Amino acid sequence: MSKIKIFAGILLFGSLWGFSECIIGSRLSDIGVPAGAIMTGFFALTFLVISRMSYKQPGMQLGMGIIAGILRLFNPFVGCHICSALAIMAEGAIFEILWYKISFDLGELRSITTQVSMGILTSYIVYVGGFTLTQILTPIISGPGFYFENLIAIMPNIFSSGLLPALIGGSVLPAIILVKNVDFTIKDRLYYPTTIGVSLLCWFIVVGSWFWINT
Amino acid sequence: MPSGKEKIISILAISVLLLGVSSALYVNATQIDKDTITINGFEYTINQLFSITTKRNIETDEGEKTGIALDDLMIKIGVNCPSCHKYIIKAQDKYQQTVSWDILKTGILTDYSRVIFPDTAHTFWIRDVFEIEVK
Repeated sequence: MSKIKIFAGILLFGSLWGFSECIIGSRLSDIGVPAGAIMTGFFALTFLVISRMSYKQPGMQLGMGIIAGILRLFNPFVGCHICSALAIMAEGAIFEILWYKISFDLGELRSITTQVSMGILTSYIVYVGGFTLTQILTPIISGPGFYFENLIAIMPNIFSSGLLPALIGGSVLPAIILVKNVDFTIKDRLYYPTTIGVSLLCWFIVVGSWFWINT
Repeated sequence: MPSGKEKIISILAISVLLLGVSSALYVNATQIDKDTITINGFEYTINQLFSITTKRNIETDEGEKTGIALDDLMIKIGVNCPSCHKYIIKAQDKYQQTVSWDILKTGILTDYSRVIFPDTAHTFWIRDVFEIEVK
């Protein structure tokens, strides 16, 4: 697979992920639903696993996290931009590490028990890892400074907050693997217009809304 | 017959679930439920604090917020040399953050015990504050 084709895939899935975080995540948060858990357990896991199954390229999910995190910085709605952006980037990197030893044909995930277990494990570690890293990096990057005692004090909260995304991930991963045999292949002549078009649409909506609200 | 890798995945999944459940139980059991706020070792009700301190409106990315000015609060309750200290703001669920005077003096405490700073990441906005430790 050519590098340009992979980059277009990273751009597409990263943009879809970032778009979901900004638009859907903000809406869920507004209505009092635990948006972070749903975003990681459902949306992030879906985009990460589908892209991995489709492209079979190491490093792709890290790139998706970076694209989604950058898009999250333009979130037009309220919320902590820098901490969410850092958490998303961290989630991409953690997924990459966690799935490093899993083969691209998902040969290890044959049984439903293993699929559920991997969904739980991935969502929990990705969510808790992202949450922890953002608690470390946000105070450093945004200025006030990082205090280790604060992190220790909130670790039980962070560990407990991973429970819901883990349960969502445990039911989402088997469903994703169930549809892995569906042929999503796009004809070559339509690949670039589709991937770039959908990506541009995501960026246009998010950045456009940001300009509209802030001007 | 599950392979070694499949067994490891299942064991790790059970482990993280147990970690999540036990942490949730711990957080629930240790949650502090009180109507007062302890500042520098002394307890105050939110009404007491509002009666002695200047109100301030701040503009945030969530719109305008109103509360009592934290810098004025520290002066009114008698903290010596307020700019010489760090302030650990603690929530009832054990969440906590440490801020310097430069940040604290921009912030407010709302009547629903939330500390808000206009120019920091929301990581430093703390709900259900029960203590501000002066260090």
